[in-house]
Amino acid sequence: MSDTILRVENVTQRFGGLTAVNGVSMEIKKGEIVGIIGPNGAGKTTFFNDITGVYTPTEGKIYFKDKDITGMKPFEITKLGMARTFQNIRLFYRMTVLENVMVGMHSRTKSNLIDSVLKTSKYNNAEIEAKKRALEVLELTGLADYRYNYATSLPYGLQRRLEIARAMATNPDVLLFDEPAAGMNEEETSDLMKFIRDLKGYGYTIILIEHDMRLVMNICERIYVLDHGSLIAEGIPSEIKSNPRVIEAYLGKGVQ
Amino acid sequence: MANLNSKNKNELFSKIMEICARNSLIITIISLLFAISFPIVFSSQYLINIAINCLMYSVLAISLNLITGFMGITSLGHAGFMGVGAYTAAILSTRYGVNFIFTSIAATIVASLFGILLGLPTLRIKGRYLAIVTLGFGEIMRIIELNWVSLTRGPMGISGIPRMSLFGVAFSKPIHKYYVILVLLIITVYIVRSLMNSRIGRAFSSIRDDEIAADAMGINVFKYKIIGFAISSGLAGLAGAYYAHYMGFIDPNAFTFDESILILSMTIMGGMASIPGSIIGASFLSILPEALRAVADYRQIVYGLLLAVIMVFKPSGLLGGYNLKHIKQRFNFEQSTKGVDNHV
Ligand SMILES: Nc1ncnc2c1ncn2[C@@H]1O[C@H](COP(=O)(O)OP(=O)(O)O)[C@@H](O)[C@H]1O
Ligand SMILES: [Mg+2]
Repeated sequence: MSDTILRVENVTQRFGGLTAVNGVSMEIKKGEIVGIIGPNGAGKTTFFNDITGVYTPTEGKIYFKDKDITGMKPFEITKLGMARTFQNIRLFYRMTVLENVMVGMHSRTKSNLIDSVLKTSKYNNAEIEAKKRALEVLELTGLADYRYNYATSLPYGLQRRLEIARAMATNPDVLLFDEPAAGMNEEETSDLMKFIRDLKGYGYTIILIEHDMRLVMNICERIYVLDHGSLIAEGIPSEIKSNPRVIEAYLGKGVQ
Repeated sequence: MANLNSKNKNELFSKIMEICARNSLIITIISLLFAISFPIVFSSQYLINIAINCLMYSVLAISLNLITGFMGITSLGHAGFMGVGAYTAAILSTRYGVNFIFTSIAATIVASLFGILLGLPTLRIKGRYLAIVTLGFGEIMRIIELNWVSLTRGPMGISGIPRMSLFGVAFSKPIHKYYVILVLLIITVYIVRSLMNSRIGRAFSSIRDDEIAADAMGINVFKYKIIGFAISSGLAGLAGAYYAHYMGFIDPNAFTFDESILILSMTIMGGMASIPGSIIGASFLSILPEALRAVADYRQIVYGLLLAVIMVFKPSGLLGGYNLKHIKQRFNFEQSTKGVDNHV
């Protein structure tokens, strides 16, 4: 297998007359932290939805680990090792923090209907193992003390963290974060930055959409800039900061 | 002011639920002992028949709760599956002399197959549209039961359905029939409870809370909806088989839209996603019409009013929103961390 873990070729997404994503190509290498930035409505979330299978791109191809995943269902793509968080938090709100993470463990455990009803040793072992691994993820994300609380009883910043924990539980190689710092204060954002750097240390490849420029410029190794659905720039943070097209796209947005 | 009152009310209710959760084992044992001794203590046939209704509707309400409460799929045709099970058992036993043990198993399987057949083309439909589809299914089943005379004897119904019997011993007395449905209820509770405590149950709950997120977690949403639908309709079919053997006679009037609504009312009134809630809801709505015999002519009005009052007082149903397992886990965890603090 090559160094490239995700290759996006000319992906276009149209909604009726609106072109939300317009011929975007991208190549992501294993172990990278890549940022996607752009003004509101630029098509960033739609692009995430295309690669994770929520939408099937109108045109273009997506290869994940050299496999064509265009048109595959989200649950199939997750099983291949790609997991995401959502811009508007989507936790399982009538389930506990622990259960939320255990849902992420779904495809890694294998007990079936009969095992569950007869409580076979396969079921028991799978449950113990799933709980143990879920607790490890919760320790790692600093959520262990909240394990039996309902997901929605958590403060906002921790809910975002639980989304990350739940995604990690699926045992992914690539993590996609959609505005992970949205609504966080400066301190929470700093914690998050440190945490994302740690994740890279564990070997994850990370692609994140973010508006917080301090976060993006500090932790992303490479940045793609979208505007009106099209890619207008790509490069390392210092290049992006001084790129005239990027500055223009952000003009009046208070950046730079 | 009204707010303050409702807050106190909820706190009181939460407190009661916490006590129940902490003593769930004792409460289960006491309820079981009560259920076992009931027909011995109250030997009146009238009372035992009411109790049988409570237990049978508990099976139906729990089976409906599996899809409605635990998975978020509202069905307006649950009696349709009960009917499929009842007719399967009635036909097999009257025509082929099959014992009720095997008619029950066959009824469960046939009803769950109907569930799968209904689910395959329809479970991709969302919410209220799906509810209409299930309503249509219930009506179609009733019309088939009425018109396929060679199979179902149509409006005449099927009579002379043999009594339940085991190893040649017929269960002729109400008390025997009572214990059969008690065993079926215990099996139902056990199956649904085990499922909900497994990865399958977590998949169900995640689908109910957020389908898109469940999908993103690697869960094949459609597959699990089919599984849930199959189990739910299978259990309804089991209750239908029991009904056929218990009554000895069935006709299409037993499995109407009204019956589906009654089962749904029991589930909703008892509380979404709560097994004890479904038992309480089913028992309450089974006993109520009998208790209201005193008011004779006003029975329907009082019945409707009482239901409305309960739903206004507690819109999520009696036990809705209280997961005893979660309450217990949280309580034990808080106790254990307190213990650690004391030792430090
Ligand atoms: N499902 C959809 N149907 C129609 N239009 C959509 C849909 N999803 C997104 N859009 C539109 O696509 C454009 C890009 O949206 P989005 O990807 O959410 O932007 P961003 O995440 O960069 O803020 C917006 O104009 C939005 O209204
Ligand atoms: Mg967005």
